[in-house]
Amino acid sequence: MSITDMTSMAEAQSDLRSEINKRLERLILGVSDYCYQCAKCTSGCESHKLLELEPHQIVALLKRGLIDEMVNSEIIWTCMSCFKCKERCPQKVPPVDILFALKNLTVLTGKQVPGDYTQMLQSVMSIGYIQDRQTVPTRSGDTVKREDLGLPVLSGLQDPNGFQNIITASAVEKI
Amino acid sequence: MERIGVFVCHCGINISSMVDVESIVERVRELDGVVEAKSYKYMCSDRGAQIIKKSIEEKGIDGAVIACCSPRMHEPTFRGVAEDGGMNPFTVEIANIREQCSWAHDSRERSTEKAMKLVMSSVAKARLLEPLERGRTPVIPNALVIGGGIAGIQASLDLANEGFRVYLVEKDPSIGGRMAQLDKTFPTLDCSSCILTPKMMEVYHHPNIDLMTYSEVLSIEGSIGDYRVKVRRKPRYVDVDRCTGCGDCVTACRMRDRIPDEFNMGLSNRSAIYIQFPQAIPLKAVMDSETCLFHRFGKCGDGPLCVEACEAEAIDFEQKEEVAELNVGAIVVATGYDLLDPASLHEYGYSRSKNVITTLELERLISSSGPTKGEVRLPSSGERPRSVTMIMCVGSRDETQCSWCCRIGCMTALKQVILLRENLGEEVEINILYTDIRSFGKGYEEFYRNVRAENTNFFRGRPSEVRIRNEDIRIDIFDTITNKLFEIRTDMVVLVPAVVPRADSGEFARMMNLSRSGDGFLLEAHLKLKPMDTFVNGIFIAGCCQGPKDITDTVAQASGAASRAAGILSKKELENDPLIAVVDADLCSGCRICISLCPYSAIEPVVETMAGEEVVHAEINEVLCQGCGACVAACPSGAINQMGFKDNQILAMIGVLNDCSDAGGLK
Repeated sequence: MSITDMTSMAEAQSDLRSEINKRLERLILGVSDYCYQCAKCTSGCESHKLLELEPHQIVALLKRGLIDEMVNSEIIWTCMSCFKCKERCPQKVPPVDILFALKNLTVLTGKQVPGDYTQMLQSVMSIGYIQDRQTVPTRSGDTVKREDLGLPVLSGLQDPNGFQNIITASAVEKI
Repeated sequence: MERIGVFVCHCGINISSMVDVESIVERVRELDGVVEAKSYKYMCSDRGAQIIKKSIEEKGIDGAVIACCSPRMHEPTFRGVAEDGGMNPFTVEIANIREQCSWAHDSRERSTEKAMKLVMSSVAKARLLEPLERGRTPVIPNALVIGGGIAGIQASLDLANEGFRVYLVEKDPSIGGRMAQLDKTFPTLDCSSCILTPKMMEVYHHPNIDLMTYSEVLSIEGSIGDYRVKVRRKPRYVDVDRCTGCGDCVTACRMRDRIPDEFNMGLSNRSAIYIQFPQAIPLKAVMDSETCLFHRFGKCGDGPLCVEACEAEAIDFEQKEEVAELNVGAIVVATGYDLLDPASLHEYGYSRSKNVITTLELERLISSSGPTKGEVRLPSSGERPRSVTMIMCVGSRDETQCSWCCRIGCMTALKQVILLRENLGEEVEINILYTDIRSFGKGYEEFYRNVRAENTNFFRGRPSEVRIRNEDIRIDIFDTITNKLFEIRTDMVVLVPAVVPRADSGEFARMMNLSRSGDGFLLEAHLKLKPMDTFVNGIFIAGCCQGPKDITDTVAQASGAASRAAGILSKKELENDPLIAVVDADLCSGCRICISLCPYSAIEPVVETMAGEEVVHAEINEVLCQGCGACVAACPSGAINQMGFKDNQILAMIGVLNDCSDAGGLK
């Protein structure tokens, strides 16, 4: 019949939840409904330590059908896609893939994507990297470039237009 | 005894760390009558047994004091060792220097002193011990099984297949019990009837089983190997030899569809004459005299319609109650359980809405032999429910109701999710409000995982109330997983009630002389090591009468109990412990105090004529007596003595502990 979050008065989006679950099943092996909330994902989440992302809560909210709440939140963009949660989940539920699905949904519905993320996207589209080559400090306090460490020169984009077309096409497909 | 051996055990370091074992050995060696004193690291080991046996052989000891752990642990071991070595096993005395000494104290010096006294007092007793012989009782090779649910059925079949005669007593008109009410069973989703009815048929046709349905145990006398049991056989008012189970009388009855049907949990109505369920064993009609018009008012229209309808002429209003007397060697109690009446948790609205039901009621709604022929419909309107919400742990794990876990609720609810989907289609919304999901059995966790993928909404928490306004049911649930309060609107609420002892279990336990644990279930002799035994020898328990359990565990325990019973029945005779109370008839004044005290009804007054006068004295039945000592302590004339604990033996021990230097002739 109906399930209502009495704080936000949001109704559970059961149909959307099923839709997301169907997509996840197509993309990956796991089903979010298998989650039994052990929070092993959050215990090891690198983003949790810095940015308070709680992957098990993301799965719980999806199971309750509270999808708008997540799509409207910036927290889903803090996942650094290390895939630790997917690799270690005892129920083969991949919170990281659920976060991808939610991020795709945000883009699809035209909602605001955080500024840093847009910048990163633009950088990938133009030079092929999330950021331009930079100098880095070493432990001994020196500042070095790739060449100083004997690393090979990065090639950059050979065919920027072709690359952008492929990215756009696959992004649309995924959404 | 005159030649006593003292054997002191180190018990690894359990004793020797707090007691100077060697100093005890040295000291007791000097006592009168002690011809041998030895210590060993583990006296209960095979090596320790060899030491004792060697002393019997070489030193010719006729009494032994073993200073070791509690007699509850190893008294039987050492009696056995003594017997093997050729000594009378009842001249072995245990001095408990572990539980009552080394474990209890922290001063080595004073513990040693205390252990010394305990050992010396035991020596004083051992000097006065007498060799005793075990009595023998013949065993009646028949068994009584009380309760015809799956536990009783399994125990009966096991015993009958072993070749013993089995009397299976069931209070309902049919065997089958709770399992017969279920539609499917977890985790295999086997149809409950399909796996149960073959066993019921086997019971019915087994040449070694006397099936006594619609019967109750009235009283029990005797003891292990020879129980005498009275069974009340309630009148069915139907001649079972003639009745064909056709059901014509049921259809004809003037009270048809007017009496709540207990088997369907009151969700449908039956006649005054009825067959409990389609697969009933025996498939015979039974007349409920409390609702039958002819029984209540002496007339039923122009004449009872059942009589008119019955072609077999099986209706017999003249039938009377009968009492059968059985003689059995062992008893298996399998009386089952009740479900908590959820009305005791008023907040969940069980008595306020027809659409708030229990799992067992839902089971009947799902069953094809149930009130709706297997279509799940709202009891209020007969419509299909669009949303079903299950509330787990109703009264379970609840200090105001039942503190224990019902052990079947989680799996029952999960199973019903699958059955509801089969019944109502994928689109039905199912919410489960749970505290923990306990899916501990073989295949259970896998079952739970599958249900999780069935688009089921799990909310972790207990609702405070079910709000009911006509057809509108709402539940507030704070979900501790998301830390959010949700409001659920639903059509039907299924409560998963606690499993409780049978309403009459107190009365039943008193009649059978069985103990109950604090929760009211029958008490096992040891929770882990003797789970089928009771404190009454020869009576075993199986199934939910001992505590909540699922069918898997029930069947396992029933087979275990049957095997324990067969262990007794397969013997021609049993040996009795000689450590019992004995009356000195000359001292007995015939006051009968002991008779009223004896918990085993082992004492009877005997009238004798002496010098023309009638005198009464008490006599103790050595088979029934369990040696509890209640009569010994109560006898105002001091006429009763407990073998192995005679007054002179005990007083000698007290003398030593009081430090009377000459007590018991000790140096």
